[in-house]
Amino acid sequence: MRLPLASGAATGAVAIALYPLFEGGAWFWTCLGVILVVTGIGVLGSRYTLPDWLVPPAQLVAVWIYLTAVFTGDKAWIGLVPTKESVLGLAKLLGTGFADIQRFAAPVPSDTGITLLTCGGVGLIAVLVDLLASRLRRAALTGLPLLALFTVPAAVASEPIAGPMFVIAALGYLGVLAADGRERITHWGRAVLVRRAPSFVAPRPASDAGALRLSGKRIGFAAIVLAILLPALLPTLEPNPLFGFGVGNGKGKGGSSISIPNPIVNLRGQLSLPTNSTVLTYTGSDSFPRYLRLYSLDIFDGEQWTMTARGRSEDRVSEGPMPAAPGQNMSLPVTEATTKIQVSEQIRGPLEFLPLPYPASRIRIEGDWRPDRDTLMVFSTQDSAVGLAYEVTTREPQPTAETLKAAPPAPPEINERYLQLPENLPSEIRDLARQVTQRGSSRYEQAIQLQEFFTKEGGFTYSLATQGHNGPALTEFLIRSRTGYCEQFAASMAVLARILGIPARVAIGYTGGSNASGEWKVRTHDSHAWPELYFEGTGWLRFEPTPTGGAGQGSATVPIYTRPEVVTTGGDEPAATPTSNSTGADLPNQSAGNRRDLMPDRDFGGVPVAVDEGVPVALRIGVGVVVVLLIALIPGLLRWELRARRRRSYARAAEDPAPLPHEEAVTPEPTGIVAARTDRRESAVAAAWAELDDALCDYGMSRQPSESPRALARRLAEQYAFDEEASAAMARIATAVERMLFARTPGDLGSLPGDLRRVRRALAAAVTRGRRIRAALLPPSTLLRARRLGTRMLDGFDRLENLRLRRPARRDV
Amino acid sequence: MAVTHDVSPRLDDLVVTAHRIRQAIESVIEGKGDVIRLTLTVLLAEGHLLIEDVPGVGKTMLAKALARSIDCPVRRIQFTPDLLPSDITGVSAYNQQTREFEFKPGPVFANIVVGDEINRASPKTQSALLECMEEHQVTVDGTTYRLDSPFMVIATQNPIEMEGTYPLPEAQRDRFTARIAMGYPEPSAELEMLDVHGAASPLDKLEPVATTAEVQALIEAVRAVYVSQSIKKYAIDLVTATRQTPELRLGASPRSTLQLVRAARAHAALAGRDYVIPDDLQDLCLPVLAHRLLPSVEAQGQRRMPEQVMADLVRRVPVPEAQAK
Repeated sequence: MRLPLASGAATGAVAIALYPLFEGGAWFWTCLGVILVVTGIGVLGSRYTLPDWLVPPAQLVAVWIYLTAVFTGDKAWIGLVPTKESVLGLAKLLGTGFADIQRFAAPVPSDTGITLLTCGGVGLIAVLVDLLASRLRRAALTGLPLLALFTVPAAVASEPIAGPMFVIAALGYLGVLAADGRERITHWGRAVLVRRAPSFVAPRPASDAGALRLSGKRIGFAAIVLAILLPALLPTLEPNPLFGFGVGNGKGKGGSSISIPNPIVNLRGQLSLPTNSTVLTYTGSDSFPRYLRLYSLDIFDGEQWTMTARGRSEDRVSEGPMPAAPGQNMSLPVTEATTKIQVSEQIRGPLEFLPLPYPASRIRIEGDWRPDRDTLMVFSTQDSAVGLAYEVTTREPQPTAETLKAAPPAPPEINERYLQLPENLPSEIRDLARQVTQRGSSRYEQAIQLQEFFTKEGGFTYSLATQGHNGPALTEFLIRSRTGYCEQFAASMAVLARILGIPARVAIGYTGGSNASGEWKVRTHDSHAWPELYFEGTGWLRFEPTPTGGAGQGSATVPIYTRPEVVTTGGDEPAATPTSNSTGADLPNQSAGNRRDLMPDRDFGGVPVAVDEGVPVALRIGVGVVVVLLIALIPGLLRWELRARRRRSYARAAEDPAPLPHEEAVTPEPTGIVAARTDRRESAVAAAWAELDDALCDYGMSRQPSESPRALARRLAEQYAFDEEASAAMARIATAVERMLFARTPGDLGSLPGDLRRVRRALAAAVTRGRRIRAALLPPSTLLRARRLGTRMLDGFDRLENLRLRRPARRDV
Repeated sequence: MAVTHDVSPRLDDLVVTAHRIRQAIESVIEGKGDVIRLTLTVLLAEGHLLIEDVPGVGKTMLAKALARSIDCPVRRIQFTPDLLPSDITGVSAYNQQTREFEFKPGPVFANIVVGDEINRASPKTQSALLECMEEHQVTVDGTTYRLDSPFMVIATQNPIEMEGTYPLPEAQRDRFTARIAMGYPEPSAELEMLDVHGAASPLDKLEPVATTAEVQALIEAVRAVYVSQSIKKYAIDLVTATRQTPELRLGASPRSTLQLVRAARAHAALAGRDYVIPDDLQDLCLPVLAHRLLPSVEAQGQRRMPEQVMADLVRRVPVPEAQAK
């Protein structure tokens, strides 16, 4: 009675955790109905003691009827009984639900299909939980289905599950456990005994409360220790596991020229922060948001965009103004603005590249920061920007459409570097580039059309669900799926621009973020990638092919000079207000939009160094299997090692010429040598005896503690039908042990190794093959030793617990 | 402490002599090797033996055979209810010629004293034996007389007849090193007995096979048998176990520990070993300890005899174990 109720409550509590996945709460009440139906059947089953095998099917049928009534009631007979139409209706709804789940990111609208899916899932979980807890009486196992349900929001939602949710779910589970405990105790009180009293003379009364409490404490202790230690030892999926390896420190080749090997790993480290935490905040001299660039990737090898960065010591930002922005004509009108940036201290790892608006003309910052002359990236090999505050002055070009249309061809050195494309670029992509831009006459117009192609005409969808970003993936993205996120958009647009002869590169950084009371906040979710195109006289200009707003990158903005209306209508309108109005429109969408973690994909946007992750799955599984096998072999190896050590010990002693008793007494040998030799022989005999003992244990042969060596030898020879030779060998061993233990002098050892081998063989012949294999692979003697070690540790804990740190009370006044 | 090389020859002598005595006794009593061996053990351990069994199984015969096979004075006392202490120890009689009291030694002045049906005598008489057995001396009229060595009392007692008997008190039972039961002979042994005993008493043909001096030397050799510390501990463990088990009202006394180890020495020596092993103690626990134990009420209720309890304890006390290094 108690258990079905507790099971239902637990399922309900865990279902609450699904809340962040949905918009609105209508689904929850439907789910609650399912849980109530299942629980009701469960309670009835318990009340009228229905057979246990009957209840789960009954619950499943009830769930079906409930779902039919709720979702396809109009097609069912008297609104309840499923008919053919209602079944088909349900199936169709399920199909839409699946499709919707594929389409939407969390939080999803709670439409009928998705609600049906959720209800069905929750219903199944409820049936499972009830089955485990109430029917099979395995309350602890209900944790598995509950956990399965709980992992859904954990896996899908980008936000971490809120603490209270977890507490509620955990309380539900604990409720099941408690109910089970109550139920059990009301039936019978059973004592849990872990250890038996080893004392042979007067066995303690084992069932006193102290012993019970002790075993309880021990179980708890062991469970906590395991729960803490095991996960720490398991390999994790976290970017920074317990035993992480440091990534290259980025030290240059020396001299004034520094090349950075692997910047993308750092970027990834930041962006993998699970929470949408603030990366930096900035305030500008005007109220416009600015894209903050970290990296500029200029090399495309057909599969990836990578970069080079060279900083010269004479260019240090502390020494003076930044190098001039490449290609920017002095006569071009510019907007000068100052931005004060404060980088968060929470960022993990060094941040070697400064997030900067483009183009910076002067930076005020502490430390050794050097710009790259061509890209104006600013980086340091010694300092980290984490927690730094700095001030940047930018001179943003304000080109008009006419200026850009009339831009002359780029100089050869720019073309050479920024027009490079791999030879084997598919021709369909080249065709696509021409076809998309056939209406444009100038490079600028072509660039605008490219952006239009991505944002409007091409029918691209913004989604994180893209797979594989290697060569074919470019074709896949551009021609077939047309689904991706900023990385694909930026990289593809840059490739297409290069095809058209417009120098292009890919920038990685952050969007302008969101405004909060005059201060701009840039969060991890604002990380972004965008293309930069070169126009002679104006320099590098940012384009935005990624969809913005709710169905795209939330805080991305489209630069004003790239708007088609600027090109077509407002030809002479000075673009003095760069990006303000678009931002205002986009920002409100952000909160409601699908905010997702943006992780710049290392295969696409990264540098080659980052690709060495690609260990084949089969190999990984193989390695895992080998590791597991090795771990499983550990007891056997330990046993083997112990045996080898013992064998060395008694083999050496056997080589030792055993002095005859009278010789030992008559020759006045220095006592030290005699003692040492005697000692060595004793340890040899002890080793042989221990080895025999372990062999017996391994073969599952018992040995009474009260059995003397002689008695053991006699019994073994009788019980396992030893042949003459083996019996004699066993007797010799027993005699040697006896002499060692009880006689004045150890006496002659005989051929201890040979005897032991003979006895082992005789013992092995007496047991089954399986037993022999087990003795070799998983020797019980080693396991027993490990267990004894564990017992000793527990005893240590007990002793710790019994320590009384109390001062003796003194009352003599 | 004797060194190894002079123990071994004496030990060999011992084995040979003991074997001779054994054969001599076995020519009289067939098929009782264990009992004879135990009797010899007690003799060599300088202890006293209590033989308890039904009438007619050869208790007295055993005692006599042992006594006869050793060339030494043997006295036999038939205990009856009217037996007086002085009948055992001896009396001081007035000699009219010398006009002095003269001590007439009683039957106890011998190397081997056979006390037949000891439980028929009154406690007063029984207790007269106490001093003799424990201290090997007799005090009469204030004068102490030492008894010869070796000195061994072999007492027999009949457990069946209860009327007119005085069961030995615990204190006196404790003075006997071992108690054995003869048991009925095997059918084959009984058949042979009929053949042999039919004609004449084999006891008459028994010639002494060892002298008192030889036996004394054997006892000396037994004293030199080595008992390691772990064996001593094991003996103490065994005795302690009898004191701690809830099945026994009275455990074994410290005197019994002493006698146990002493008997174990003799047992080892008879096996030709100059050191004691746990098996010696295990074999002797039952005859040496069991007759001193009193079962608790619970054990009595479960009809558990002290012998069973003792055997269980031997199975439970762990033997000294080798410490692997």
